[in-house]
Amino acid sequence: MRIGILANSLPAARHIYDEAKPAAGSDLFVLLCPTHGRSPAPDLVRHFARLILKTGRWKSLRMMAAGKIVRLAKPLDDSETVAQLAAMRFDIGLHKSGNIYREATIECFRLGILNAHIGLLPKYRGRSVMEWSLLQGDPVGISVFFVDEGIDTGQRIVMSETVDVSHCKSISEAKEYLFGLDGQFYRAAIERLQAEETTYQENDGSGRRYYVMSRLFQGVAEKCLAARRSTS
Amino acid sequence: MNKELISQAVAHRFEEVCARGSQLEPDRFGEMGEFVSAARNTLLNFRAADRESSGSPAVGEYWLDADGDCLDSLRTFSLGEVLPTWPGPHPPVEGFLQDLKHTVRHRAPLFKLLIERYAYAPNFSFGPEDDVREFVLMRLMVADRARIEDASIANVDSNDLLLKLNLVAIHAAATTDLRFLDALNYYYELLPATWYPDVENGWLVTSYLALYARALMFWS
Repeated sequence: MRIGILANSLPAARHIYDEAKPAAGSDLFVLLCPTHGRSPAPDLVRHFARLILKTGRWKSLRMMAAGKIVRLAKPLDDSETVAQLAAMRFDIGLHKSGNIYREATIECFRLGILNAHIGLLPKYRGRSVMEWSLLQGDPVGISVFFVDEGIDTGQRIVMSETVDVSHCKSISEAKEYLFGLDGQFYRAAIERLQAEETTYQENDGSGRRYYVMSRLFQGVAEKCLAARRSTS
Repeated sequence: MNKELISQAVAHRFEEVCARGSQLEPDRFGEMGEFVSAARNTLLNFRAADRESSGSPAVGEYWLDADGDCLDSLRTFSLGEVLPTWPGPHPPVEGFLQDLKHTVRHRAPLFKLLIERYAYAPNFSFGPEDDVREFVLMRLMVADRARIEDASIANVDSNDLLLKLNLVAIHAAATTDLRFLDALNYYYELLPATWYPDVENGWLVTSYLALYARALMFWS
């Protein structure tokens, strides 16, 4: 499978690259997308600065030398970028950018673009879903699904699994823990998609779209997490 | 649902909302000063209010009509009073939703459309209005919130924002869907504590606080 990781920075993409490589083989690329609303020049400076300052620079340089990093100069929905992506004939995109994708961009990937969402679909769409799950006494987890133009409304869910966060000491730690599992979940999803017959769970719209949570309820969610910790 | 933890937090917030509302200065609301004064007294006396009498005005199985307009009914309910109602024909949702989306695309406020449809404000909580409620909640929690957080409260139409908050507060007291109450929580934390919107319907800030307090009482 030919896979492109859509990210705004190389460090953000690299752990997914490392995790997904055993499943994806040699056809794995990092597609560096421009940051929304910024001109390309500062983006280029930022990429260069990260390359110099962040750890793992030799690995990044090796990836560059192997042609595994593609910098997209224009926004993802720009016709030039769409043509560039279409020409690269990817099977799957892995979402690690801050972008919302337009149909033309999604269609550049034969199967679509996967998103590792830190909520259990179809019930929990949108923002702060881990906190909402805790608040409402529901399991916490990660769903990997193919995106569409909406907010977590893509119909095909490849996997949706609960994750125990009761060892985490705070909401921020729990979120960081879940976000850090995206590479593992992408790898597992790719392996499922490589199986001869993939069955999808349907994101049937039965859930709700959640929004950023108030400080008041965040405080309650923290207590709910602490309660899970004490009973685990 | 962690009802006990939610209830404790909500009870604390209820006290804060009553305190904030009771500090409003009626003189700053012009001819609506009398209403603001009455709403302030309602907030001050909420502590002794019977929980049974709190919550949203009844939303029946029917779309209801009443005398007066949306703003009249918001003032009435924020004071804990009721209006005589009678069943009326439910206007189609789909066309209205398209009108809302069309208005948003043209960056115009929803105020006029909303007050025309919800002449009896609790109809916002009527079951088949689900898609409209989702749309209003989404506008509040995405576009309006982003405009305020990226710039300031001056960046949104205050009449429009406050009307949406009032309608959401009406529904928050009538539903177990906590997203509506939390939208009010979020805006309570976001908006300046001493905000006197210099707009025609600036008094809606008072009814919003009073209706928010009722919704909190429903959950506490």
